[in-house]
Amino acid sequence: MDAPSQPVKPDARSQGRLAAFLDNDIVYSFLRSKVTVVAAAVTLVIVLAAFLSPFIAPHDPFDLRQVSLLDSHMPPAWAAEGDRRFLLGTDDQGRDVFSTILYGARISLIVGVLAVAFAAALGIVLGLTAGYVGGAVDSLIMRAADVQLTFPAILIALLIDGTVRALFGEGRNEEMVFWVLVVSIGLSSWVAYARTVRGSTLVEKNKDYVLAARLIGLHPAVILFRHVLPNVIGPVLVIATINLGIAIILEATLSFLGVGLPPTQPSLGTMISIGNKFLFSGEWWIAIFPGITLAVLVLAVNLLGDWLRDALNPKLR
Amino acid sequence: MSAAPLVEAKDLGRVFDVSKPWLNRMVERVPRQTLAAVIDVTFAIGQRETFALVGESGSGKSTVAKLTVGLIAPTTGDVVIAGVSMNDPSRHAERQRLRRRIQMVFQDPYASLNPRWSARDIVAEPIRAFGLLRTRAEIEGQVGDLLRLVGLDPADGRKYPHEFSGGQRQRVAIARALASRPDFIVCDEPTSALDVSVQAQILNLMRDLQGRFGLTYLFISHNLAVVRHMASRIGVMYLGRLVEVGPTRDLFRAPRHPYTRMLLDAVPDLDLTGRPRKPVEGEIPNPIDPPKGCPFHPRCPFANSRCRSELPLLLSGGSTLVACHGVEEGRI
Amino acid sequence: MTAPVLSVRNLRVEFPTRRGTLVAVDDVSFDIMPGEVLGVVGESGAGKSLTGTAIIGLIEPPGRIGAGEIRLKGERIDHLPPERMRRIRGKRIGMVFQDPLTSLNPLYRIGDQLSETILTHTDVDAGEARRRAVALLAEVGIPAPQQRVDSYPHQFSGGMRQRVVLALALAAGPELVIADEPTTALDVSVQAQIIALLKRLCRDHGAAVMLITHDMGVIAETADRVAVMYAGRIAEIGPVRDVVKAPLHPYTVGLMGSIPKPDADIDRLVQIPGTMPRLTAIPSGCPFHPRCPRAFAPCPTRRPELRPHGRAEVACWLFEPDMAEAAR
Repeated sequence: MDAPSQPVKPDARSQGRLAAFLDNDIVYSFLRSKVTVVAAAVTLVIVLAAFLSPFIAPHDPFDLRQVSLLDSHMPPAWAAEGDRRFLLGTDDQGRDVFSTILYGARISLIVGVLAVAFAAALGIVLGLTAGYVGGAVDSLIMRAADVQLTFPAILIALLIDGTVRALFGEGRNEEMVFWVLVVSIGLSSWVAYARTVRGSTLVEKNKDYVLAARLIGLHPAVILFRHVLPNVIGPVLVIATINLGIAIILEATLSFLGVGLPPTQPSLGTMISIGNKFLFSGEWWIAIFPGITLAVLVLAVNLLGDWLRDALNPKLR
Repeated sequence: MSAAPLVEAKDLGRVFDVSKPWLNRMVERVPRQTLAAVIDVTFAIGQRETFALVGESGSGKSTVAKLTVGLIAPTTGDVVIAGVSMNDPSRHAERQRLRRRIQMVFQDPYASLNPRWSARDIVAEPIRAFGLLRTRAEIEGQVGDLLRLVGLDPADGRKYPHEFSGGQRQRVAIARALASRPDFIVCDEPTSALDVSVQAQILNLMRDLQGRFGLTYLFISHNLAVVRHMASRIGVMYLGRLVEVGPTRDLFRAPRHPYTRMLLDAVPDLDLTGRPRKPVEGEIPNPIDPPKGCPFHPRCPFANSRCRSELPLLLSGGSTLVACHGVEEGRI
Repeated sequence: MTAPVLSVRNLRVEFPTRRGTLVAVDDVSFDIMPGEVLGVVGESGAGKSLTGTAIIGLIEPPGRIGAGEIRLKGERIDHLPPERMRRIRGKRIGMVFQDPLTSLNPLYRIGDQLSETILTHTDVDAGEARRRAVALLAEVGIPAPQQRVDSYPHQFSGGMRQRVVLALALAAGPELVIADEPTTALDVSVQAQIIALLKRLCRDHGAAVMLITHDMGVIAETADRVAVMYAGRIAEIGPVRDVVKAPLHPYTVGLMGSIPKPDADIDRLVQIPGTMPRLTAIPSGCPFHPRCPRAFAPCPTRRPELRPHGRAEVACWLFEPDMAEAAR
């Protein structure tokens, strides 16, 4: 008869701030998905380990005074002939595989993140411009995107690398290789960002709040970055997370092919490349452990990206 | 009414190119297509006055709104506000100063506020853009005052648009429009997306603000009843042209143009007087391919051969201006 | 005493969320008699569209019918298995939605869409179905129906498309047509045409109509009876004349007063303070009490039920005989 109002939990604002944060829809969906929590934890562990490598690696694999050929080709610590100093064994130079994985993961992550940041920045700027300005500028950018898509990423990377070698000769230092890698991988993946940002910009630019901003005489660049960008950036985050995995693998592939980072500053890919030569002689640990690390890292990042895409999709909420 | 009008539109015209892309035109052998959205529109709005433009879809009233504030440039004609032409390139600096005094309230409360900005930032933006106040404290105080003015709580400033209802969003939009202390506000169907009871609140609010700040309104709407309540003079538009202009009371008491009469007839009879309604024929024609002569003739019960071939001009007839051969000839 | 075409009793539509269950339609009951036009009017959030959606069984999960009965000519249709509900939809209940652009499949000719409906729900052959499709188009006022029957939806204007949608709704000869905001997306001059057409068609085909809208003007022109909804409940229900000219419930009074009229020369419109409550914060007792100018003792705590008053029914303590004494 006199039905009381529905028993509804109090509004977030009336709770404490921590409770409110945990109550947030996105955080809630994150905590509810065990897979995502595990993936996030794994990613966090690897990232932390990689960046704390100077402090936690038992050896410094690049310090030539510590590395000795006498220690080379040693199997993991639990095997016969293994040495407890070298947990996962050593490679052909005598470097500790475990330490090299830590340092290598760091390089792989840095290259991956920088490449993604570069691609995202380039893609966002081009996408915003194409969508807002329209006309010939839009056509130009989109045709450039079409052209870029016809080139496989590896081919682009090889092209740029080859060009740089030709211009600067073989004796270039490692700094340059690093940046060549970042730029190549970035250039091969900006299109996805540009396309989605352009599409969203086309929709947003006709909305009344953009008209209101134009009305008070704001410069188009200001409108683009302060008004439009926050509204089109959602999908970019999702693409970036998934692209991170691809970027890391791409870098590994390039290093494996020998056009990436050199053996003196190995990434996970380089290590797999080195270890590849010794697989058939029975020294599996040089290639397998970096390979597992790479696979786990990329898988965890991809799972995070999947969750992020679903969490940010308003229709699924 | 005061001396010089604040806003003048003179022979305003705007044509849009709606042709297919070049490649399509080459392949399909289709010519360029243009859409005349606004043709020869002239009106003047005095200070503190509310002038309404009424019409259905395709009438061009929204385009006129955007032309008036300078969001799009006219193809022909000009808009002069406070004596400054909105389109003369040599008066650019004056126009910049003028921007502060012109504002607009949009139709869709869900699209007129940036979903990622807080209400406080949205309302503060014009203040910051025109450099009206310096310190953060001053700006926040002013924002609080504005929110209170439109019937919201200053504490609501930190909320985001999705936390407000449609009517409240429109209040935030009005607060934003008032932030730069404008003299002239163009209201493009500000209540069409709102519920009836909320509409009443917003319309009352707008009238109160007009009285308090001496605002001048250009009010766009498709709802004649709303316009009756808000405006002192009304212009009726059809397919881009003005067909009748006059004081509200006269227009409602004795509408002359057949389209105006049709619009009034279509307003639902809420008093259930059972008044006889003339059955309405047809629909708005495609503006890309308008009829020859008077654009209304296909739907007009009084059309003759002259109507089908010759465009009627807006002529004075008593207190109103009407563009109709039938009225001119005394047939209607 | 004729039996109603549609009988809704104590309908409750709810949405379980992680913050508790939200009730969007709360204990709604009404009947629609054969051939009658019942208007269901309310502002956004009142639950009128959801009521219509519940009747045709298209509530999207997690929403669900939490309680109540819906009977079509005596037969229960709430909680029917999807296959049986599908057959009822279209055949016995026709639907007209707001947006003619999305109601028609842009990829198929309208003649095919009409024939498909006719063939699915009646026992005729393809030739007869097409003949009936052309006849329906003529009836809804499409000029040159023999040719236009092979046109695509995008080749029609908005008003014409809505006429086609009306034809579709009536194609299988339903007993009830549910129209949800059928004219809101149309121009004013076209609205009047479509409303008149809807009324005439349903009368000619013997279908009752449930007309859901926020536009009181449309109701005044078309409906025989009207139910005014507020916060998921019916505030007042009665013959159109009575509710429009002599509203009882304070909400209806406020609603009628806030509608601008072209003939009146008033300075300020009547305004109801505040807004319709959100589903998460529906007030206790009578949901309108915080905004009601005539709220008194029982209103905040006790929820009023629909009681007869003259030819109408109203849910308001002001009209309970013993309560009304206390109000004075």
